[in-house]
Amino acid sequence: MTGMNSGVNVNDPTVIAAFTSALLHQGLIALLIFAVLGLAWITVRAWLPAVTGSGGQPAADRGQAPASLPDAPLPLPEPSWRQLLRAGFGLLWVFDGILQAQPKMAIGLPSQVIEPTAASSPAWVQHVVNWAGTTWSYHPLQAGASAVWIQVGIGVWLLAASHGPLSRLAGLASVGWGLVVWVFGESFGGIFAPGLTWLFGAPGAVLIYCVAGALIALPERLWHSPLVGRAVLSGTGLFLIGMAVLQAWPGRGFWQGVSHGQPGTLAGMTASMAPTPQPHVLSAWIDAFTGFDEAHGFAVNLFTVVVLAVIGGIFLTGQRRLVRPALIAFGVLCLADWVLIEDFGFFGGLGTDPNSMIPFLLLAAGGYLALSQGPVAEPGTARVPAPGWRERIQPASIRRSAAAASFRTVVSVGALGLIILGAAPMAAAQANPNADPVLAEAIAGNTANLNFPARPFSLTDQRGQPVSLASLRGKAVLLTFLDPVCTTDCPLIAQEFRQAGQLMGTESRKVELVAIVANPVYHQVTDVQAFDRNEALGQVPNWLFLTGTVPQLRKVWAEYGVAAEILPAGAMIGHSEIAYVIDQDGHVREELNAAAGPGTAATKSSFAVLLADGLRQALRSA
Amino acid sequence: MSSRARAAGLLLAAALAAAGCGSAAGPASGPASPVQPPSLATSLSTGSGTWAVAVMGGSAATHNNFWQLFVRPAGSGSWRLATPPGVASNGGLVLASPGMGSVVAAFRPSQNLAFSPLATTRDNGTAWSPGLLDAPLADVPDALAAAPGTGRLLALLASGQTELSGPGGTGWSRLVSQRQLAGLAGTARCRLQGLTAVSFGISGVPMVAGTCARPGTVGVVAQTGGTWQLAGPALPAADSGASVSVLRLTAIAHATVALLAIGSGRAARLAVATLAAGHWSLSPPLPLNGSAPASASIGPAGTAVLLTPRRAETVTPGGGWRPLPLPPAGTVVLAPGATGGWDALAVHRARLTVWGLAPGARGWVAGQVIGVPIAFGSSG
Repeated sequence: MTGMNSGVNVNDPTVIAAFTSALLHQGLIALLIFAVLGLAWITVRAWLPAVTGSGGQPAADRGQAPASLPDAPLPLPEPSWRQLLRAGFGLLWVFDGILQAQPKMAIGLPSQVIEPTAASSPAWVQHVVNWAGTTWSYHPLQAGASAVWIQVGIGVWLLAASHGPLSRLAGLASVGWGLVVWVFGESFGGIFAPGLTWLFGAPGAVLIYCVAGALIALPERLWHSPLVGRAVLSGTGLFLIGMAVLQAWPGRGFWQGVSHGQPGTLAGMTASMAPTPQPHVLSAWIDAFTGFDEAHGFAVNLFTVVVLAVIGGIFLTGQRRLVRPALIAFGVLCLADWVLIEDFGFFGGLGTDPNSMIPFLLLAAGGYLALSQGPVAEPGTARVPAPGWRERIQPASIRRSAAAASFRTVVSVGALGLIILGAAPMAAAQANPNADPVLAEAIAGNTANLNFPARPFSLTDQRGQPVSLASLRGKAVLLTFLDPVCTTDCPLIAQEFRQAGQLMGTESRKVELVAIVANPVYHQVTDVQAFDRNEALGQVPNWLFLTGTVPQLRKVWAEYGVAAEILPAGAMIGHSEIAYVIDQDGHVREELNAAAGPGTAATKSSFAVLLADGLRQALRSA
Repeated sequence: MSSRARAAGLLLAAALAAAGCGSAAGPASGPASPVQPPSLATSLSTGSGTWAVAVMGGSAATHNNFWQLFVRPAGSGSWRLATPPGVASNGGLVLASPGMGSVVAAFRPSQNLAFSPLATTRDNGTAWSPGLLDAPLADVPDALAAAPGTGRLLALLASGQTELSGPGGTGWSRLVSQRQLAGLAGTARCRLQGLTAVSFGISGVPMVAGTCARPGTVGVVAQTGGTWQLAGPALPAADSGASVSVLRLTAIAHATVALLAIGSGRAARLAVATLAAGHWSLSPPLPLNGSAPASASIGPAGTAVLLTPRRAETVTPGGGWRPLPLPPAGTVVLAPGATGGWDALAVHRARLTVWGLAPGARGWVAGQVIGVPIAFGSSG
């Protein structure tokens, strides 16, 4: 998956500082959103006290219809199963959002989380996932921050909105974003990968968020239907039975603790979790379980298969008397798996969620509560048709609604603002095909802004024609030094120059992209021609690759602070990687470290943006 | 529970089970694989010295392994490092000699370098002059050949194309490709599949070698009178059904030598065919017994093949195969010794140890040790 890795270190201080700064800025905006909403709410309530009823507490918060809306039906009390799912998954989304704010996330998520997750999936899954990973790696700050605010927003929304369309919309938002995360972040929960097992999180934690979100989005008339509880438990039961079959399937390596001298499938998985940075006691538990499974692999798998099948079967029956102990057993199993096999899921600086066991347990408990709930009497108020949308958008109606809004509603709207706060910058970044310059800045360090006359030179271009710096007066010059037979960075730098020229658009005619040979051995015109041919630079009208005699070249190298050293034993020429931006008056305006870094698509694009920015500044400054 | 929910659950369970039940495919059990050409590690004997190519560094990362060139000047008993400067050698070095003490080294492409810079020396590597092949050289030890006298070079490219230079190794032009050769009437009997070597015949005609799809046919083709004709040796009738690959094809004094792999898998065997005075002679076969040629050195003194697992065999013109004592650990190439016999060049990371095997001796004797100043990390 070539595009997913930006190649920049996950701990790069430049990116981490920029990510932290972006989060802080957006956090301030988030606070502002809530402050403005709060002030607006208080103001409207002060202007229209009548609709809020006595004591200033909104009627909706007291479970009554607002005084000014006599036709509005009284809301049904929210059943306990829905409260559990809403609060539980709301907290999980908030927690996941906080995990997304970890410093390593901006750079590390595509290469260290998404890519390894997709690695064992079929090529078409990798292709789909790669698209998202590449987008993230091009815009790591916006993507990282958007994941934070969208998830925190959904979580707060779920927690705040208990009734009405806003509450159901929160459930749908959970489904929508959950599917995005499930497909692109979890590679479809790994269901297309060969090692699929419930023990390790199949079919993906976020898919359970989606199921819960769908349940939360159910119409109110279904809240108290016993069908909901039965469907949830039956679905979970069927799924667990399916997972038991899968777990028991021969040839998948789960029956062996050790196979051909190597840990079996489960022991191999847990062994890979133990080195995750985490408290020692936790890794010791994982190690102990790995050793136990290696010694008793058959017994562990037999226990798992039987327990999953039995619990699944009981859930399937839907008999309350049996479901309760089965739920307790399921809880114990989930917690044991969470600690010993899934290793909590959120350690190591790149954990994105607490994995699948807590969501599973919440879902099953919700199903049990739904199954156990008693019948609820319909509210006594005569239910009349709700007003149509034409009435609702009347100014008076809007004023009444705003004044009657509960605190929960205001928080929900604020949460929606958080989601927009995260999604909008990412959508804008997605529309930009060029990577953010922060990647290049992370590799190249700070650029120096200068203003002094560039040293003159007179050399020969790739066509054998003489070219001097003076002859380029009137154009901004992007100058670097390249080895035409370089095996590493020089071709990448040349491509970054070319892309920078393209990014200049119509201004590119005011720009000259100039490279000077930095090899005292291979410096013939034929060498630069070969380089140009292989890098497809022959068609770039403002590209010049200049060379000369060794004394001519050494003079230019010295004047521009370039060292070019012949290294022994099959090594490449050692030379400085430096770029200068020279303005139209022949003044050096900027000096950049041109080291191309790892040369990924993201870093190349990022350098091109940085170079183009430098050229634009030079054009403006002249 | 409704029947609809039950059905949906069953479908989900079945889908999940089906998704997870994929098991890894077992090992492929296709036809026995043909013998591959040996590595670029080889030696070359010229009038002015003996040259050897070896990869050093010992790193798992290709970009930290650098191919080195060593020379032992004629009359000297010592080797010295002579790797041409100016280009990273991670992709490999290929040697050719146009005679008169001149040696051309070609750098194979690596990483972001997509063509093959050349370097020529006339003083045993003290000074090198740069040259250029604007195309990627193939990864075989006979990817470059030099015509004695004229200095014309013949290159086999990674694409299967061949290119011929003008005198002095400049002005390259396309000669012929594997695809073109496969379609020519003169070579139709061979149905040439892949090219593995180029050379110049004694009379200076370009020669190309590879693997014929037709069993029992040696894929050596020469351009005579402007047309390409099969020019390989005829194999014994017993080999008429065997696949034949030309692993190496090179010119030595007054002869052209081809190292052939006959058969495949455990039945594969090596043979050396020598074209001298217009006639091919064929050595007895050397059964490989499952081993593979790692390095092959062809010179006037004979041919030495280093096999994996560790084993060495030599054959002299007109003679039979003779096993050499177990080569020292780390041996990557064999070269003719200064006073007859053989030198084994053994590599351990950045250290080269030259072991000598005097004529008739029973064991290798450690000699010179050369520390090579490898610039680890300089290529990535």
